[in-house]
Amino acid sequence: MGLIALFMLPFLGGIAAMAVEGRRPGAERWAAIATMIGVLIVLAAMWAGGVDESGQWIARHQSDWAPAVGVSLTFALDGLSAALVALSAGLGIVAVVASWSGERRWSGLFHLCICWTVAATNGVFVAFDLLIFAFFWEAMLVPSFLLIAIWGYEDREAAAIKFLIFNAVGGLGLLAAVFALAAMADTVTFNAFELAEMEIGPRAEVWLLLGFALAFLVKLPTPPFHAWLPDAHTEAPTAGSILLAGLLLKAGAYGLFRFPPMLFPDATVALSGWGMALGAFGTIYAGLLACEQNDAKRLIAYTSIAHMSIVLMGVSGGVYFALLGAGVEMIAHAFSASALFFLMGSLQHRTGTRDLRALGGLQRRAPRFAAAFSIFFAAALAMPGTANFLGEALVITGMFQVNWIFAAIALISLVISVVYATRLLKGIMFGEPKSTAEIDDLNWRETIAIFTLGFGTLIFGLLPQILAGAIGPAVDAALAPFGK
Amino acid sequence: MSAASIAPLVAMGLAAVAAMLLAPSAHAAAARAVAALGLAVATGFVVLRFGAPERLATELLADDPLARFGIALTGLSALAALAITRIGASAREVPALIAIAALGGALVCGARHSGALFLGLEVMGLSLVALFAFPLTQRALEAAYKYFILGAAGAAALLFGVAILYAAAGGLAFTDWRSSADGLFALGAALLLAGLAFKFALAPFHMWGPDVFEGASPSAVVIAGVTAKVAVAVALVRLAQETGGASLQAGLAGLGAASILVGNLFALRQTSLARMLGYSSIAHSGYVAAILGAGGTEAGAAALFYVASYAPALTAALIILTLEGGDVRLENVRGLFRRRPLEGAAFALGVISLAGLPPAVGFIGKLYLFSALIEAEAWRLLAVAAVGSGLGVYYYARFFGAPFLPCKEAPSTPQAAPRRHAGLAITCLFLVAVLGVYPMPLLEAAVFATR
Repeated sequence: MGLIALFMLPFLGGIAAMAVEGRRPGAERWAAIATMIGVLIVLAAMWAGGVDESGQWIARHQSDWAPAVGVSLTFALDGLSAALVALSAGLGIVAVVASWSGERRWSGLFHLCICWTVAATNGVFVAFDLLIFAFFWEAMLVPSFLLIAIWGYEDREAAAIKFLIFNAVGGLGLLAAVFALAAMADTVTFNAFELAEMEIGPRAEVWLLLGFALAFLVKLPTPPFHAWLPDAHTEAPTAGSILLAGLLLKAGAYGLFRFPPMLFPDATVALSGWGMALGAFGTIYAGLLACEQNDAKRLIAYTSIAHMSIVLMGVSGGVYFALLGAGVEMIAHAFSASALFFLMGSLQHRTGTRDLRALGGLQRRAPRFAAAFSIFFAAALAMPGTANFLGEALVITGMFQVNWIFAAIALISLVISVVYATRLLKGIMFGEPKSTAEIDDLNWRETIAIFTLGFGTLIFGLLPQILAGAIGPAVDAALAPFGK
Repeated sequence: MSAASIAPLVAMGLAAVAAMLLAPSAHAAAARAVAALGLAVATGFVVLRFGAPERLATELLADDPLARFGIALTGLSALAALAITRIGASAREVPALIAIAALGGALVCGARHSGALFLGLEVMGLSLVALFAFPLTQRALEAAYKYFILGAAGAAALLFGVAILYAAAGGLAFTDWRSSADGLFALGAALLLAGLAFKFALAPFHMWGPDVFEGASPSAVVIAGVTAKVAVAVALVRLAQETGGASLQAGLAGLGAASILVGNLFALRQTSLARMLGYSSIAHSGYVAAILGAGGTEAGAAALFYVASYAPALTAALIILTLEGGDVRLENVRGLFRRRPLEGAAFALGVISLAGLPPAVGFIGKLYLFSALIEAEAWRLLAVAAVGSGLGVYYYARFFGAPFLPCKEAPSTPQAAPRRHAGLAITCLFLVAVLGVYPMPLLEAAVFATR
């Protein structure tokens, strides 16, 4: 039951937020936060129980739902899923805190969208019935679409529709592959554990894997499937950017991490070179584009693409260090990117602009703000000590074991990341302030939220064994097809 | 022949007669109440008898789960149409016409013989012409005229096709039309299909669709877009079952693919809600035709599920047309959620369902569509359906996002809506949301009906 609570709680919490709106000021915020805390408590209770005899699963659940069509309620939680669920509940709180100030239309609906995005991503992280996985996969879209379309910035409607179309079409690849896979079984089933046992045949495996990969690569996203992301991130409200960068992108990475090696082991090995090549191309391409941006949110959006492309390289690497690095980088990037979007959103709220040419001198005007920014600049350029460094270093180490060319490209991308991060740093922090208007420093709520994220970035950078221990079994499972 | 088998038809027919007799009197609302009562009795009766053994109602009419599934949907959609009917001094006959259309639809659902099929289609089609005309505006008359002329051509094609099939196969019952390689037979099947495609609004016989959606009253649109569609879909499923299917498959697949592309492409740039829904209804007919055209063991159930999931979604979207008056454009939808939270939510969820996104029932319908096409290994149709639903997301997203966006101009204070509208909105919202998460009852019914 605990597993089902992980997504039912935020689902119900969203309805509660809508219901209590207006009863007293801010009631809907507290309803949303209480829900997320509930998820964290349930998760902690399950996690404290340790893993079962298989060494991987913290909890598993299976019961019938629609046996006639082979759909079952199959859920499972391992360390990787648990880390991501914890992340999504935590970022849910951060998203609520980030949008605390100011009047907002339909605040109840806004918090419902936040809660339902979290609910759907939690569902993605624990579902092992492929039809239910696909349901949650598509269910992420509507609440995040509404977040962008209703509460976003100037050009929000076009950006929201672009987001929806890219991801809905990507999702069709997943749907088609899921059905084709289920139809191949002797008795129709969508249970991933049962489907994993099935012999498929090399050609079909490749096609099915490509169907899954279309959905995952669009969500990740990696060039050339990335065109929706810069617009969506830039136009989304801060909470939307946080959820996009922190959760939806991670859902794509999670899918790549989990399902191809489990369901299509031979095709995963066969296509791993292509995956690394695509990631290598993506990280350089997006990194160079990031260097050219003047809109700070757009710049951060492109850095997200660059970092997620590194994750793609790691996931396809097929060696222990690369996969572990990809897992660490996923979590690390969720912290750093959502923190940067949070800070940028607050800054835009205060100064009315996010143009790097119009900002500057922040370190003199709002020191706490500047201190927070500098932690995450360091993370964005993968400074040693941050979890981002650990992730990228592990991926590069892994790449050296596979192919030195990919390792060299990943190293070059690190150099590029220094360029864009310093450009962001210089534009916002240093130089003469372009306007004399006062900037309020971070308030206590924002300070707590941002330093929690900063704490996460540093703690996982300095004590990596916590994270490595949690996601280790999932890494081993993903390595199985490579026979190492 | 047994009384129970034809009881629903009798109830619908009596309702139509009673409503017609009451229409000239002063109590216009009484006509609606009587029509609603008759439809509700007929619907309730077939739902209760859903699992009863199969038999013949008459030589021409089947009384089996497939017919009962269709009659129940026909009755429910006609009830929905009654709920959003405006009865003014000039339109007292509308309840009677709706009951007649439902009767025609029920006949089509049961038809296992070309006589009953033609009779049902014409009863339904002619009452639709009158229904379309009823606001008596220029546009409504144009829509009615267009439907009448094109419908007559369709009926002629259907009759001609039936005649040729009779010549080729020597019988008029569906079971006589076992597929053969005969050229005459193929010609007859093609003409029969063309006639049905008119009623089903499949491209290239779709011209009347968008005009009717735009010009006719919303209750007439519910009849044309839901009731008629359900009836024709049931007839197609039955034809496929009883003739072995092969003779119609290629044609259905081609018409389906064309409709998916035409409907979705023309809907892309529409800013009028009614026209968008009109073109989208062509696309949705196309998906159903594609399922049946691909064949396969799941096809019948998938097609039934698809039309059943389409019905509450389209109805939810159409409620807005009655509330906001005929010409609703994209910018009029803005702010709807604030003006009318309940109907706005029903509208948004209905359009989300049409787009095939969770948590609406349309998502399950889309899943079933895909699984049926994959099961039949119809890869080209699958590609067309995927392109179509990708295109669909674009125009549906503009409409289901709009209720939550602020109005550009100061909104007029909304007129109070009758409680019937709220009741219908809640019903549609409930059906779309609950079946979207727990589709099993409908899924099992659709499978049972086609076994």
